Amino acid sequence: MEELILKLKKEIIEVLNLEDVKPEEIDANAPLFVDGLGLDSIDALELIVLMEKNYGIKLKDASQGKEIFKSVAVMAEYIQANRTK
Amino acid sequence: MKIRKYCKIDREFVVIDGALYPFPKEEGTHFLTALYRALSVDYPKFHKMDTLSKLGFLASELIFREEDENILMFDNMAIICFNRSSSLEYDTKFQDSIEAQNYYPSPSVFVYTLPNIVTGEIAIRNKLYGETSFYITPHFDAVQMVRTVENAFQDRDTQSVLAAWIEAYEETQEVLMMWVEQGKDGGMPFLAENINTLYNKSF
Repeated sequence: MEELILKLKKEIIEVLNLEDVKPEEIDANAPLFVDGLGLDSIDALELIVLMEKNYGIKLKDASQGKEIFKSVAVMAEYIQANRTK
Repeated sequence: MKIRKYCKIDREFVVIDGALYPFPKEEGTHFLTALYRALSVDYPKFHKMDTLSKLGFLASELIFREEDENILMFDNMAIICFNRSSSLEYDTKFQDSIEAQNYYPSPSVFVYTLPNIVTGEIAIRNKLYGETSFYITPHFDAVQMVRTVENAFQDRDTQSVLAAWIEAYEETQEVLMMWVEQGKDGGMPFLAENINTLYNKSF
């Protein structure tokens, strides 16, 4: 799981253009939205695309994102359980 | 019109009202990120901004950081910016991203393919409700700057103006931001001659 969390952090930095942020600066348990990384609805769209492109997970209901994108750790757990690639 | 406060940032130095603002440069870290960290600002959105927005954001932070928030909120401040290269840095980045195979248009890139996003970033951060505008000019033009700010003061609402030249393209990363008010006392006159001096002065 630690490996997946680190990979996910790197992917988030890449897709969201957080060029100056280092993976170790992201707290895996901190909220991704508003506080923590301060992400917004546009970023949520990027994360949905990331899950589909990199892990073959297609969210049927966008509102699921609220729960799944709670933190990097929660996201990693969801990916672990639902990935198709 | 007078300049109440100004800030100048480029790759070499940061200046507030004529005084150098020293900050530790970090090896392998962009100077704007080092400055953001030195200011101890907690605004994670900074990391997502394009260079143009980072320059404008940091200059406005340096100008407003010791000011009374209540004054700013009730002050109907306009934001008027100028530059030469518009948002070309991110326009190019976006074009490159959509030319790649299996591309998808990345919102985090194309959201910055407009230069006036920086005015929005500053307005949101500081709760400024005045007009905002961004002009593209062939070169730094202090006369045009004065004329445009003068026009902004013609309406009944604008009490002050945050006027800035913000350029971010290739090796050039610079901002000269001025807090401009009406009246003559208590500040440097907002004249083309003075603006040119501030822009060209090395510290």
